[in-house]
Amino acid sequence: MIWVQLVNGLMEGMMLFLIASGLTLIFGVSRIVNFAHGSLYMLGAFLTYALVPLIGPGSVAGFFASVLLAGLLTAAIGTAFEMLALRRIYGSDPLMQLIITVALVFIIRDVVRWIWGANSVMVPAPDALMGAFIINDTYYPVFPFVIFGAGLVVVLAMIGIIRFTRAGIILRAGTDDRGMAALLGVNERLIFTGVFASGSFLAGIAGGMAAPYGDVNYLLDTTVIVTAFIVCVIGGLGNLYGALAGAMLVGVTKAMGVLFFPRLSMVLIFLIMAVVLIARSLGRQGGPAR
Amino acid sequence: MITRILTGVSVLALTAGAALAADAIKVGYVTGLTGACAPISEDGLNGSKLAVEMLNASGGVLGQPLELVIRDSQTKPEEGGKQARELAAAEGISLLTGVCSSSVLLAVTEVAKEFKIPHLAIIGSTQKANIEAYNPYFIQTQANATMEALAAAEYVAKKSEWTKIAPMGFDYEWGHTSVDAFVGRLKELRPEMEIADPIFMKVGEQNMGPYVTAALSTNPDAVYAAVFGGGLVSLIKQGQSFGLFAKSNLVTLLTVDTLQSMGNAMPKERVFGVARAPFFALEQTPELAAFIEAYQAVYNEYPTDWAINGYDSMMWYAAAATAAGTTESDAVIAAFQTGSFDGLKAKGLTVRAFDGQMNAPAYVGEVNFDPSFPFPTMKNVEKFAGEALMFSEETIQAMRDAAK
Repeated sequence: MIWVQLVNGLMEGMMLFLIASGLTLIFGVSRIVNFAHGSLYMLGAFLTYALVPLIGPGSVAGFFASVLLAGLLTAAIGTAFEMLALRRIYGSDPLMQLIITVALVFIIRDVVRWIWGANSVMVPAPDALMGAFIINDTYYPVFPFVIFGAGLVVVLAMIGIIRFTRAGIILRAGTDDRGMAALLGVNERLIFTGVFASGSFLAGIAGGMAAPYGDVNYLLDTTVIVTAFIVCVIGGLGNLYGALAGAMLVGVTKAMGVLFFPRLSMVLIFLIMAVVLIARSLGRQGGPAR
Repeated sequence: MITRILTGVSVLALTAGAALAADAIKVGYVTGLTGACAPISEDGLNGSKLAVEMLNASGGVLGQPLELVIRDSQTKPEEGGKQARELAAAEGISLLTGVCSSSVLLAVTEVAKEFKIPHLAIIGSTQKANIEAYNPYFIQTQANATMEALAAAEYVAKKSEWTKIAPMGFDYEWGHTSVDAFVGRLKELRPEMEIADPIFMKVGEQNMGPYVTAALSTNPDAVYAAVFGGGLVSLIKQGQSFGLFAKSNLVTLLTVDTLQSMGNAMPKERVFGVARAPFFALEQTPELAAFIEAYQAVYNEYPTDWAINGYDSMMWYAAAATAAGTTESDAVIAAFQTGSFDGLKAKGLTVRAFDGQMNAPAYVGEVNFDPSFPFPTMKNVEKFAGEALMFSEETIQAMRDAAK
């Protein structure tokens, strides 16, 4: 049972990381706290719902292709939002960020409800993914393993890009010292747009990947964003590796807590957050994304 | 000549319009059209609208047409209370109804008490409104939350092959009272039954895997889950890959909207559920058939439990006002407490005077795939009469005293 629970925890941690990584990247570079990040996740889930029947119902490749396409569409929508609205408020009052990103929360929520209705929708998953390995009468569900593996691929790709590519260098430079990067001729606008697009893509594929496992409805946005913020706070807002550690910590703590201290499992996560906030004030100000 | 006729017609239309506006019986309908309650609130409203149309087509109530004055509570108690207050103060309403969420229900019932307006509950079902927060203007037209949990316990107790049960629920008032009522009744009925420590998760939890794993770690014969909506959908979907339906059984709430949402993703067996008004398991009367047909014609789907509750309650209000011969609040309440009511979900229902509870039944059954419906339904549905599930007057008095 402990092993099954560990798988549960790691899977939830990976999903949390995919969501939180976008949030933390965007904050690290452009200092925008994107309250609409959960909405992009929800959008990814609904787009996957719409795409799966068109692309390849029942096949594993079709499912992942749909998720990828949903992520790209979400990225396109995120990019449009960044270019039309967010771009105008960089560096201004943080209250403006709140108003604009929360406005996007409401817009996406109403549009989704208008298109797909208020009831939950079911994203069909290929049967191959929904089964379980049965070892000694214990069920090890396939889906969490697959999600964890797919998430790992994304994480490694992301780390590779940030560490070894020119785009990654520019990104790190922008996070470290925006003014200096600009002086050296780096196009700030392009970085901001690129980062927002990447963050939206991550949120979109996270939503798409989780869609067949749970329930997809237009209220997913707020369900997701709170835990994502907790993860970012534990890891230090703006710190990518911190977010990875925070996500795994939250996921595994929650799962193990349910098994061993069922009455405390939810408190534990907030307890960790409180300890981090008290012990490490860096967590609140945000560290560098490296 | 033509002008004259036209003038005549428009004058007629104007007077008719004025008469309609002046004489309509206004029903304050406060429901969660947005927020967590949105999917089921809409169903309830659809059922009520249909009832109002039918009543008005046959001459209205006491010769007056009914008019729904609809407000969105946004599924927030402050907002719902405010909307109810505005309706009561400014709109001259004769009835409050439609409320979905328990917390909004408690806010609205306070307003009903203050303005002395009958309040019919059709979706929200917290027993607090019958017990601690009871006022004489409140009428609960469905089995309340504890009654549903007790029905589940009665059903589980009859499964003699089940000896170990693992309860779980959403971590808020409804989840806890449901689990407590279920466990309490089950211990009375089957003292030898092993019941695990209950597990609670936050409302709307998406990742049910850890909770399913924890519940299954005690090797239960059945898991009782006081969860609904998205959390329930996640529990059923994820439960399959953890062997929940291979090693154990699930007993939960299965209203028609959940059955529709689940569709083919519903396991073929080992899922049991409590429902309030599952149209396929009700007594198949001509009235029910006519209602289903009319509902499908307008909304293009099968009516959910909430649609039937919305319909029944408007019809019952009409019956009570007709019996009272007035829409005056105290007379209507008296008519409710002395009359007997026939609805789509059951017949010969009565309302208890000391807690406003109607002896509405709860239905418990087992998931079934009937090819004549486009979604799973239930078989072997047992109807638990309301009386057997309602707390006695002494128990309620004791609970009220304890709450003081």
